[in-house]
Amino acid sequence: MIAIGMLGLLLGLLLAYLLLDIPIPAEWASYLSLAALAGLDTAFGGWRAALEGRFHPDVFVSGFIVNALLASLLAYLGDRMGVDLFLAAVVTLGGRMFLNLSIIRRYYLNQLSLRKSRG
Amino acid sequence: MPGDNKRLQMLIFFIIWTVVGVLLGIALKAQFRLHTAELPSTRLPELARAYVQEKRAVQMMETEIRQLRQKTTELENALATGTKQAKVLNDSLQTAKMLAGLVEVEGPGIELVLRDSTRRPTPGSTESLLIDLYIIHDYDLLRVVNELRQAGAEAIAINGQRLVANSAIRCVGPVIYVNDIKMASPFVIHAIGDPNTLLGALKTPGGVLSDIMEADPKMVEMRALERVRIPAYTGSTQFRFARPVPSEEVAP
Repeated sequence: MIAIGMLGLLLGLLLAYLLLDIPIPAEWASYLSLAALAGLDTAFGGWRAALEGRFHPDVFVSGFIVNALLASLLAYLGDRMGVDLFLAAVVTLGGRMFLNLSIIRRYYLNQLSLRKSRG
Repeated sequence: MPGDNKRLQMLIFFIIWTVVGVLLGIALKAQFRLHTAELPSTRLPELARAYVQEKRAVQMMETEIRQLRQKTTELENALATGTKQAKVLNDSLQTAKMLAGLVEVEGPGIELVLRDSTRRPTPGSTESLLIDLYIIHDYDLLRVVNELRQAGAEAIAINGQRLVANSAIRCVGPVIYVNDIKMASPFVIHAIGDPNTLLGALKTPGGVLSDIMEADPKMVEMRALERVRIPAYTGSTQFRFARPVPSEEVAP
């Protein structure tokens, strides 16, 4: 699971850096960052779900799209209203990422100790 | 088929991570490009704040330039109180500075206000084809300035920007740059000179303002003033290319 995830991430980064040269207007850059953050959150969530054995592709894909859109929408609304609403998305998504990562970490630590006790 | 399902899961997992990677990559690249452009942030409110701050700083520096130039004049005058030669030298220096527009001046003159017409021709009418007539253009200002100079104006300012020998008036999109300063309608033009001559030149039938007056008389407003005050030029006075020719080489 880790290997697949990291491979995909690397491939994506390489694709973006080497092949895709999309000029992003300055005022869009922050929305894109938020979309990337939401995507990262979903990806971690999917990883955790897979470890817990309740990974559903439909939930995973729809969550990815909706979260990214919602985060960007919040940022846009915040810009219009003069309130830094994007912080809400950053805090929520960031917090959830830490939570998911801690669960993933615990799962692997557990496995490690299990393997050790078995000898 | 649990095996197939597992493989599908892995595939979707892989694809999503790839998409996240692409998004992250593009976002990082965009941010990097912005940072190399030396912007303080990409958020609109902060950019607006930074813009206002910069603008205020420029204004303060312009005030400082104005004060420093005035101080220079005072110092020159003080120096000249000594000998007769120094006084003669200083007198010619002050005349040159007045010509160059580096001194704040006042005297009798006129005020001319040009503004875009509030009248909008009905769409589809022949008038709407001539929409240009209802807007003040850079060439209107240029012709007015030329006319004022020809009528003997000794100092001219547009919206507080002193016109000097190398001033430019240029249209950039919806605004006009005077001395590289952005401005829009209304344009308040002050000129020092004989008020009657100046007003007469502007009012000449078939003259520079006749087209505008015909389109909408409300676009033009002018009056004579007993005392007009025109600020000094605050732009650069440095020469990067031109050098004076040594006196022995000047053709007789």
